[in-house]
Amino acid sequence: MSEPVERAYVITLTIPDNEAFTALTTLARMGLDVDAAVRSDVWIATVDADHAAALDGAIGTIETIYNPNKHRLEIRTDAQPRPGEVWVTAYDETPAITVAGRTVEGLRGIVHRTAWRLLDERGADVPASLLDRATESFLCNLAFQRAIR
Amino acid sequence: MTARVAVVLFPGTNSEDETQRALAAAGIAAEIVHWSRGSAALRAFDAFVLPGGFAYEDRVRAGAVAAHDEVMDAVIEGAQAGKFVLGICNGAQVLLEAGLVPGTGPLRRPTAAFAPNAGGKFLSVHVHVRLAVAPERVPLLAGLAAGAVIPAWASHGEGRLAAPATELDLLERDGHAAFVYCNARGEPLPAPNGSAREIAGLTNRAGNVLALMPHPERDGWTFMHRDGDAEKAAARGNAQAMLAPSGGAIFFQAFAAALNATVRTR
Repeated sequence: MSEPVERAYVITLTIPDNEAFTALTTLARMGLDVDAAVRSDVWIATVDADHAAALDGAIGTIETIYNPNKHRLEIRTDAQPRPGEVWVTAYDETPAITVAGRTVEGLRGIVHRTAWRLLDERGADVPASLLDRATESFLCNLAFQRAIR
Repeated sequence: MTARVAVVLFPGTNSEDETQRALAAAGIAAEIVHWSRGSAALRAFDAFVLPGGFAYEDRVRAGAVAAHDEVMDAVIEGAQAGKFVLGICNGAQVLLEAGLVPGTGPLRRPTAAFAPNAGGKFLSVHVHVRLAVAPERVPLLAGLAAGAVIPAWASHGEGRLAAPATELDLLERDGHAAFVYCNARGEPLPAPNGSAREIAGLTNRAGNVLALMPHPERDGWTFMHRDGDAEKAAARGNAQAMLAPSGGAIFFQAFAAALNATVRTR
């Protein structure tokens, strides 16, 4: 068994994302000046270093969480949101030890986050204060979720 | 004067018909009102019932998008004016996300959540819930007996009440935890969804808004009772008895009685 490493698999629809569009509509109704919302599923795995490459390959072929025909997959070697992103997760989430029900050698645990980016009319990230407001008033229920920036 | 009740339909609601029928069986001719008619169409009603199903596919979070819908402005205004508002299952999730229950924080800033069930799976089981507060604490159901036990079907993926411990203490202390899961005799039972403090339903401070996760309307006639139920077994071969309101019907009868009494006094 080798040292554990973290992997973040950021999976984003490349076809129209109806959920993101609904969120955008709600944000507009709330009076928040946002031009686009981008939603991603983020799977954060803790895996033995020796098996990290194999896990990368498994994620890319298990089509229940990633389908190359409709998703973009970004593999990150750290589990931190990028500037402009907020990750939403439940306080009491229990890590799973399988990926979509499949056992993957070396996997120690995997958790899910929902990532949001909000963009202005130029396609740039909205100011942090606006993202915070959208997060606290809609994207995240602080009674059972937390927002990671 | 007859009470006017709106059953508010969001895109994805799927329990409006049985909810309307349960109200009708209790003597209330409710009208189904689509969200797209907007707040203006709702303001003339005396009470609102938000039925179960899914609102906007439960995108972002169950109830979150609907809670911010324009049509909810009228529901919120009505609740603040003392009108009765009942939410069942997804309707309960909407009321919680709208901040109408438990009502301990600002509007549309929920202080609790109906979070994904323990175990993460959709739940479809028969349950009983017990009125856990004095009937007078919930004027919306004033006709219920103390400790009344209501049979219902739990059918949800996100029904586990979750909140910080301090909030849960407050909910119990101030009588917001209106219903808890129990067995058929009203004895405590672990919540099948892992709900905190076994809470199945919440009310607001005034007791005119109630959010209940299980569906009493899905057990409101004898034929709907689960197999093995004594009343259902006794009704076999007797269509009239099988089609008679029973079980969860008492929930709607209490709601109708309280509502009609309120409207008469206006």
